[in-house]
Amino acid sequence: MKRRSIVALSLVLVLAAAVTAATMASTKKATASSITVWLQVDAQSGWPDLVAAANKQFQSDHPGVTVNVQYQTWGTHLQKFDTTLAGGGGPDVIEMGNTEMTKYMAAGAFSALNKSSFDNSSNWLKGLAASGAYGGKTYGVPYYAGSRVVTYRSDLYKAAGIKKLPATTAEYAADAQKLLAKNKAKGFSPVYIAGTDWYVAMGFVFDYGGGIAQQISGKWKGLLSSPKSIAGLTAYKNFYLATSRASKTTDETHPNPYDVYAQGQAASIVGPSWFSCCVGKQYTADTAQFVMPGHVKGQAMPGFLGGSDLAVPVTSSNVALASDWIKDFTSTSGERGLQAKGNIPNATNLLGSSVNERAASRSWFVPTAKHWVDVENGNILRNMLAQILTGKLSIKQAAASAGDNIASVLNQS
Amino acid sequence: MHESSSNAAAGTLLGTSRRRRRFTAQGAVPYGLILPVLVVIGVILGYPLYWLVKLSTQRYGLFELIRHQGVSIGLHNYSSVLHDGVFWRTLLRTVVFTAANVTLTMVLGMLLALLLVRVSTVVRVLLTSGLVLVWSMPVVVAVQVWYWMTNFENGVVNYVLSQLGISDLQHDWYATTFSQLAIVTLLIVWGALPFVVITLYAGLAQVPPDLVEAAEVDGARSWRIFLDITLPILRPILLILTSLSIIWDFGVFTQPYLLIGQSKITSGNYLMSIYLFEEGYFKSDFGRGAAISILMLLMVAVLSIVYVRKMVRIGDEP
Repeated sequence: MKRRSIVALSLVLVLAAAVTAATMASTKKATASSITVWLQVDAQSGWPDLVAAANKQFQSDHPGVTVNVQYQTWGTHLQKFDTTLAGGGGPDVIEMGNTEMTKYMAAGAFSALNKSSFDNSSNWLKGLAASGAYGGKTYGVPYYAGSRVVTYRSDLYKAAGIKKLPATTAEYAADAQKLLAKNKAKGFSPVYIAGTDWYVAMGFVFDYGGGIAQQISGKWKGLLSSPKSIAGLTAYKNFYLATSRASKTTDETHPNPYDVYAQGQAASIVGPSWFSCCVGKQYTADTAQFVMPGHVKGQAMPGFLGGSDLAVPVTSSNVALASDWIKDFTSTSGERGLQAKGNIPNATNLLGSSVNERAASRSWFVPTAKHWVDVENGNILRNMLAQILTGKLSIKQAAASAGDNIASVLNQS
Repeated sequence: MHESSSNAAAGTLLGTSRRRRRFTAQGAVPYGLILPVLVVIGVILGYPLYWLVKLSTQRYGLFELIRHQGVSIGLHNYSSVLHDGVFWRTLLRTVVFTAANVTLTMVLGMLLALLLVRVSTVVRVLLTSGLVLVWSMPVVVAVQVWYWMTNFENGVVNYVLSQLGISDLQHDWYATTFSQLAIVTLLIVWGALPFVVITLYAGLAQVPPDLVEAAEVDGARSWRIFLDITLPILRPILLILTSLSIIWDFGVFTQPYLLIGQSKITSGNYLMSIYLFEEGYFKSDFGRGAAISILMLLMVAVLSIVYVRKMVRIGDEP
């Protein structure tokens, strides 16, 4: 008797719980919803205030809708995204690197957006706008761009007797020797460059007129073993060996160059201009930036024009809300905020003359191929650089094998 | 010798089951009782396995993923994997890696277990606590600790080595494939030892002291005693531990992937599980990834036959 009543009671409880859960779910859907936004950690460390401002603006337009911002890392966000495409529960807005867009647009991963509803859309930066367009439709809204600049310690430069900023790569390397003579601590880098930082290394390749790959009558051909590319890779190897005490096999996030700088182990670092955010309190006053010089006097080193787009995955059922959030985040005031943090805003009418924007005057971009992202993820360039710097292979051998590899990946169907 | 005894065991098993094969109402009860378990196993193992097999015969990339609809292409994924030079090189590397890991784990585990028997209680408690602490550390945390220790800029390993005057320069522990996999091996063996040591120590308690004493009286040296008394008694445990270690180390993913780091993973240092992950997920070729995992599954299944057979035989012992 007693047992039966216990069973009945628990059955009732289970039923009640199920009913409550069901009603809760249905009310949630009917009235207020929330949108999920995936941004890269760059926003978390560099401009959390701009994210908060966009959320505030969005919530005043859409009362009761919460914005759930989740920060992702570049290395893993695509795998996570793939999983949500298969299983649901993914973001309503996702930040994509401009080199990552093509593969996903080609596969139909994003919803088309109404270009004219976004601020300054008629003046979007050409390169960024192109990375978010496919088949005549807009899938990605330009978020920001960034070129690469040198962030350096003016106090150390002064102490080493360097009066004038370097105008060529050779002068920069000569300054590095002066800095080394003054700073004898083990592991100190006059120019900290992670060995496999291909963004810096390819700058040398493009500076010497080389390239990564080229499409000739529909087929991709590797360019790394061309004489000009070899000259660029040789210049990179020599510059790296003379100036950097970083690991020859590590990448530019292990450790972050600005952390090395903040620990006093570097006189200068090469990277996005927002690196100035995190150079450490004790060095903020003595930190300045200049445009990385090329090997020819008066010419800047071509920098990678990186950038991000914001897109709405097809799995999102809140396309209108997601699009509105993107609009708030990439508004004129939002872009001005990004500019103030050292980024390049998304439209030409907003451009200023900061060191970052000057550095963008000479820039390079990766081959616009559907499978380029596989080249990046396969670490083909990083592996080549590690082989070159450690001396495992000669520059020619490493470049030839990487070039063949890249061509075969890009030419996949 | 073992073959015949196992055949005999199987024979008696068959004989008894034949005698009992009567489909009465009572005979159906045991089957009814295991039915829920079978249903659960069918749902959580069978269904995903069915999908995995199906996926492995399809072209299933990003395009198909978004539409939840693959295109059937027969065995093309399998033939493409089996004709991939990277697959065979990775397989060879993984076999060597597994052999090194398992050998080190078992030899060091055996030595530590023997040590545990001989030390004083205080030392034994200390040693066991240390082992349990290692055991209880989550893998990801352990990887992070090892990563810090072997860090290029500020790692304690480089610091100690330079303080000892052994290497004055900063050594890059991840410069070569051999060095990368060697550090991963140390991490895996370190993490695998507690289970092996504690299990073997428990097994050593089964060695009858009077047997050892008798051998000693007969003038046997400790090495003889170990070979002729300890080892035969421990054999079933050693077999199970070895086959389990092989299965674990063959498919290990977390330690190598996190410790070496994504940006250093290339086809030149793949292990099987990383090959699977890179081909399937990074290249968004899920059909090919499924084919690789089926092939891995088959290899592990072959390896685990030893383990299963041993388990069945132990179950048969009265």
